[in-house]
Amino acid sequence: MSYAVRTKLLRVLVYSILILLLAMCVLPIWMLLVNATRSTAEIQQGISLIPSNNMINNWKNLTGRGFDIMKGFLNSSVIAISITIITVYFSLMFAYAIHVYDFAYKKFLYGFVLVLVMVPTQVAIIGFFRYMAALKLTNSYIPLILPAIAAPASIFFAKQYLESVIVKDLIDAARIDGCSEITIFHKIMLPISKPGAFTMGIFAFVGAWNNFFTPFILISKMDKYTLPMLVQTLRGDTYRTEYGSIYLGLALSIIPIIIVYTIFSKYIVSGISMGAVKE
Amino acid sequence: MADSAVKIKKSRHRFNKNIYGYIFTAPFIIGFLLFSLYPLLYTFYLSITDMTMMKKSYEIVGLDNFTKLFSDKFFIQALKNTWKIWLLNFIPQIGIAMLLAVWFTSQRLKIKLVGFWRTIYYLPNLLMPATIAILFFNLFSLYGPVNQFTVRAGILNEAIDFFRSNGWTQSILIFVQWWMWFGATLIILMAGMTSISATYYEAAMVDGANAWQMFRKITLPLLKPVLVYTLVTSLVGGMQMFDIPYMLTDGRGSPNGSIMTLNVLMYMKFSSNKGHIGAAASVGVMIFIITCTASLLVFKVLQERRDANPKKVIKRTVREGKHELCS
Amino acid sequence: MKKTIALVLACLMLVGLITGCTKTTPAQSSEVESNTNSSTEEKNFSGTLKLWSFTDEVKTMVLAFEEQYPDVKVEYTMIPMTNGEFQTKLKSALQTGEVPDVVSLEAAFVREYIESDFLADVSDLLPLAKELGTYQFTIDIATYEGQTKAFSYQATPGAMFYRRSLAKEYFGTDDPAAIQELVSDMTKFEAAAKTIKEKSNGNTYMLCSTGDFANLFFANRQTPWVVDDKLVIDPKIDQLFETAKSFRQNGYEAQATQWQEGWFAGMNDSLVDAKGNPKKVFSYLLPTWGLPYVLMPNGAPKVVKAENTGKDSTVGIDTTGDWACINGPMPYQWGGTWIGAMKDSKNLELAKEFIKFSTLNADTLKKWALGVYTNEYLKKINPSVGDTLAQGAGDFVSSQKVVEEIVSEFDNAATSKFLAGQNSYKGFAAAAPTISLKLIQASDDAIQRSLNDPLSNYAAGKASKQEAIQQFKDAVKNALPDIIVE
Repeated sequence: MSYAVRTKLLRVLVYSILILLLAMCVLPIWMLLVNATRSTAEIQQGISLIPSNNMINNWKNLTGRGFDIMKGFLNSSVIAISITIITVYFSLMFAYAIHVYDFAYKKFLYGFVLVLVMVPTQVAIIGFFRYMAALKLTNSYIPLILPAIAAPASIFFAKQYLESVIVKDLIDAARIDGCSEITIFHKIMLPISKPGAFTMGIFAFVGAWNNFFTPFILISKMDKYTLPMLVQTLRGDTYRTEYGSIYLGLALSIIPIIIVYTIFSKYIVSGISMGAVKE
Repeated sequence: MADSAVKIKKSRHRFNKNIYGYIFTAPFIIGFLLFSLYPLLYTFYLSITDMTMMKKSYEIVGLDNFTKLFSDKFFIQALKNTWKIWLLNFIPQIGIAMLLAVWFTSQRLKIKLVGFWRTIYYLPNLLMPATIAILFFNLFSLYGPVNQFTVRAGILNEAIDFFRSNGWTQSILIFVQWWMWFGATLIILMAGMTSISATYYEAAMVDGANAWQMFRKITLPLLKPVLVYTLVTSLVGGMQMFDIPYMLTDGRGSPNGSIMTLNVLMYMKFSSNKGHIGAAASVGVMIFIITCTASLLVFKVLQERRDANPKKVIKRTVREGKHELCS
Repeated sequence: MKKTIALVLACLMLVGLITGCTKTTPAQSSEVESNTNSSTEEKNFSGTLKLWSFTDEVKTMVLAFEEQYPDVKVEYTMIPMTNGEFQTKLKSALQTGEVPDVVSLEAAFVREYIESDFLADVSDLLPLAKELGTYQFTIDIATYEGQTKAFSYQATPGAMFYRRSLAKEYFGTDDPAAIQELVSDMTKFEAAAKTIKEKSNGNTYMLCSTGDFANLFFANRQTPWVVDDKLVIDPKIDQLFETAKSFRQNGYEAQATQWQEGWFAGMNDSLVDAKGNPKKVFSYLLPTWGLPYVLMPNGAPKVVKAENTGKDSTVGIDTTGDWACINGPMPYQWGGTWIGAMKDSKNLELAKEFIKFSTLNADTLKKWALGVYTNEYLKKINPSVGDTLAQGAGDFVSSQKVVEEIVSEFDNAATSKFLAGQNSYKGFAAAAPTISLKLIQASDDAIQRSLNDPLSNYAAGKASKQEAIQQFKDAVKNALPDIIVE
């Protein structure tokens, strides 16, 4: 068999595996979306990949039982956007300091951050809960947002990224022009690291958007529930066998992410690639 | 004299500038002390108390909580479950991601629409774990679509009660974890691979190295930092796995605690009738110790040899390659 | 053995007496307090009341309360009980002191709160309860160390509901008295299950789930779960293990899980195995609320839009009129909602007023039981309520006096039509005074839940008795670190 034929055969194999994986990724999600439009009885009758026309009924049933999804969206958006901004800004700031300045404990500090990447943070939740309860902050978003200032994994990424984009000559030139250090950081460094910041931002956003554990432990007021916490209630007795409504609730929780992703996926993927390019 | 004056000026200049090192790192340090270190230390403290949520007073009970952890089978079971579930999802995850990354970057295969495939494979990672858990719970329920399909298509004789079987429930959880993460790992690995300069491969090709040799001798060593990063972050995440196992069944790792992970156990203690804060904190402390030890070990073992000087690597590659060809 | 049990019980009672005595002083002082407050009773209540509950049910009460007291606004918070979320959230709230004024407490966890010091003592409402003949067990469950801390609007004696058509087919009669005779204890119940299986060739199950009868065994224990901080396993639990195993191994039950799809499907004959073969279920063990809330809504056919054609078709049949209600093999009680006020409430008087209105008011209870609170009625009070919120007729209320007054109203009600003319209310009225909940303890729920997995392992033959008991003990140790397990 010639090289070309073998390559062709290999290509066929590779494409079939790719298609199989594609089906695995898409089918469950597609079924979820389709079932959101079907009635409970239809769902019990069997599988279908063609949408039905029961969505409005499902919606009525869903919202009639106190599933306030808009509120969930709003709450989750507020938290996730704040976390994204804070994480990106402070991580870049920290990484910049490590990369550009020479100061005592610098090596130790960065080493420490690297160690922190390996530290499981969720395990301190019990102490965190008691601590926030004592401060009467359990039903506030502050304990969900502010800890984003110290995001070791983001710093790790930011440092790696800055190494590849920051040219020290540029900073020196700016200094000669009389720019202050803070100006340099904001006016020169931030714009240069935009692609990296975008990637970091996506990861921070997705992480915050999907985070269930911390808000689940801290928040006890229903009107402050985040989206994952609301979705979790779909398993409860309230909906019992209302499968159509359950699927609709699930679908609503993921459709916005899917839409955003279809628009920005190019930026996301290329951003990730850019972030990793060094030299 | 003048010389030293310049020096002083220079050093002061540097001092002025470098003070920003402290300023720029201060928010992190403050945030870390307030929101990470203090809660962590406090958790350690709580783990030696008998605090519950139904009583206002509590006492220090020493290591009682820890002795109790080891006296019933739950903690050991949760520990075993957590490692098993993590390992069985991580190995195929990194394996398939690596395979796909190699295919996608292969000059020989020239796979089309790489961006498209990657985009789709990454999609599950963006979805909410809460949604995914409930979705898979419904898909695999006794009267759910999976059973409907397999039985009616004649693949199975009888419906499988997936969530009453320990093995099936664990397998579904492992599959879901894999499903969610292989796309993310793929992107990270590919990013690492594309950052490797093409010149190494060109040089190797000129010297007649084959694909496997190039992968072994160029890609893998240069990818090592990325691999270690993936391994450690996945390990840390895996040891704290909670969302999917919590929501896939009844929140207590049913059936028979087969998907009760360490974090689920911690939450069980926290949400027990009395809300045993002390006992929950002791589980947290154990997760902390186990995870830190494991990730330090990974670093020690994998980071030891740092001989990733590309030119040397290539030379050695080619030499070994030729050696192989000759022998 | 019996002697030791008696001794233990005597000791317990003694302990109860002693602790009861020591607590009289604070109880008295609170009485004084309430006396001074009683002058305010006549005034018009106003303000905002924060109420937490785990279903929509109490919301109906809230709306009726707002109708009665137009100046009062109730902030209603519903947190589902899924995986104990409501309980955890409530406990979290206790930590911060940002507590609601009024809480609904379900039977599973009410005792935990009664034994804690977070609920306000509402013993001063007891005379009112006496007047209404509130069933003693609903008060017992909410009383700890001489203080009554919550009241319930329901009493929830258990019953057995069976299908008349299937009874005729397999036993030749559908007469409740005759069927009751056939299932009057667990041995007979099992024998009946065997008959049904044999005569139906395995197409009809006695029960849909083994979970159905666990409550019966729990309710008929002789000893509480915890004696002197030690776990005690009553002989009834042994019987439960054996019965569950027999039902599973012999195929007397459909292996469904309570509150899940298959369990409901049995109610309108739409239960099918995975191959599509139809299966039927003979009976369900449900309490009072099971009839209007579970059986009736699920005993009707469900509309399906046939795929592709767009035509409507239905699954299941209308089982109305094909059911009957009997006492079943053992008396038991299941569920119920209690309403209590938080000690730290800033609005304690108003909170008490709500307890009074919702649980100790003959008028409210009558309206509640007779289905006066229709969606229309509630919408008049507050137009923004959902289309599904309503309180259908048939819930069994906690006041004996009210029950006696209204029992004849159910001769022709929808519930009776569902039971082919049988007045279930009458049956419940006879059963309610006999129920005793003296054995109830705060840890019951956690212990009984610890039993789930070991029980189903044993039933399925995956574990020997010894292994299952060991699993149970381990689970109890894990769930309740302060209990000694030997």
